[in-house]
Amino acid sequence: MSSSGIHSWQRRDSGLTVRIILCFAILIVLYLIFLSVLAYLGLGLLPLTILASAMILAQWYFSDKIVLWSSRAKVVSREQFPILHDLIERIVARNGLTKPKVAVVNTNLPNAFATGKGRKNSVVAVTTGLLDILDTEELEGVLAHELSHIKNRDVLVLSLASLFSTVAWYLMQFGFYGGLYGGGFGGRDRNNGGSMIIVLAVAILTWVISFLIIRAISRYREFAADRGSAQMTGKPVKLANALMKIDGSMHRIPTKDLRQVEGLNAFFIVPALSGSTIGNLFSTHPPLERRVEKLLAMEASMS
Amino acid sequence: MSFFKKFKTSAIGPKTDSDIIFSLSSAYAILETKLGLEITGKCALSIKDTSGMYFSELKEDIQQFLDISKPDFELSHSMRVDKYGYLWIVLEGSYMDDILTGIAAMSDTIAEKGFSNQLLITAFEFLSTKSNNKQYLIYNYKLSRFYPFVPSDNKTRRIEDELKIMAAVADELPFERDMTLWYPIWELPF
Repeated sequence: MSSSGIHSWQRRDSGLTVRIILCFAILIVLYLIFLSVLAYLGLGLLPLTILASAMILAQWYFSDKIVLWSSRAKVVSREQFPILHDLIERIVARNGLTKPKVAVVNTNLPNAFATGKGRKNSVVAVTTGLLDILDTEELEGVLAHELSHIKNRDVLVLSLASLFSTVAWYLMQFGFYGGLYGGGFGGRDRNNGGSMIIVLAVAILTWVISFLIIRAISRYREFAADRGSAQMTGKPVKLANALMKIDGSMHRIPTKDLRQVEGLNAFFIVPALSGSTIGNLFSTHPPLERRVEKLLAMEASMS
Repeated sequence: MSFFKKFKTSAIGPKTDSDIIFSLSSAYAILETKLGLEITGKCALSIKDTSGMYFSELKEDIQQFLDISKPDFELSHSMRVDKYGYLWIVLEGSYMDDILTGIAAMSDTIAEKGFSNQLLITAFEFLSTKSNNKQYLIYNYKLSRFYPFVPSDNKTRRIEDELKIMAAVADELPFERDMTLWYPIWELPF
């Protein structure tokens, strides 16, 4: 439930992503504490569910503001960034979308994200670092990727996924309390210690599983947005190029002559640069290699 | 069934370099139709030059082979040694099949003489009809795979063109998908 509303590009955590996730994490912790206190004070299931839903709705409603505020993104006018506005307008016009607000974050780290409640009032943000390193067509690919997120209603999808996990958490807690009271065990005090541990264990398990499911959905949405970008621009290879630039992979393609490398006998010491399985489980973005490969396959089928 | 099949293939052994090189005979046409890359008819094989009797024998053998095969394949050839001490054998012909036969036969001859570890790469030259630049498919003998190489000015590479080549033929050829192994060969002897 943490990063709903944000589709950040980098696999490694940049300051930007960390700040946004931190903001949401603090909010969620506060909100869990608040609801737990209310539950402890004996508020009934129905009022608590309504309150929890209202709070999630509020979080969703303000998600774009929270994201913009925590990432220090500034909404920019056409006069300030004419090329950026032009590019977005072109993609939007060609694909029958609604033009989102355009925001810029002043940082050297290349990154981009989309946020917003619906298709009508969304924001696409890019960092100045991204504008510096990408050429126009690559930038178009990235912007189309973010616009696909908006078109696919990914913020809503992820918010809903988070909502289910939160609701599951509370239902389960109440299920346990209800079971305890309804079951007619002798004294509440005697069972309290043991059952609290079970409640806690199951609660943590529920949360971990839903966390992993949200991550999996998120990774799948990334592929979907890549595909959407490819369809909008017709140039998947440009997005692949942009992804590699953002990731810093461009530097991984060697420029040192093979004959020199052979002379140094360094040829087969090159480590495999694939992520671990555990890392993949937790990441919101699929590995770059897979994304580039899929984009290239699309390029092959288009040309 | 599959067990015997496996047994059979392992008895034949892994694909040889010449087998893999021949897979280009159908794949090159894809480069032309998809990317507008035409063969220039030039390719170059490089082998580490070691001073020694056997190596000069090998050179004579190659020379002999090329002279004998000339009427059959319509190939012209030249040899030179670069500053790293690699011997380059440059072939030029009008038909891809002739070129591939020549390169495959030379690779086999070199392997038979026990110099397969000295084989570095064979580069196949293409001309882009769209951007009018030279693009290459490199066959690396140690990797037993192909990878793209599109040089630009000042020892830089056109990575986008290279990615396009990968997109077009990676499924048609034994292709090196790990880009960290796409070592360039600057100043190819064409």
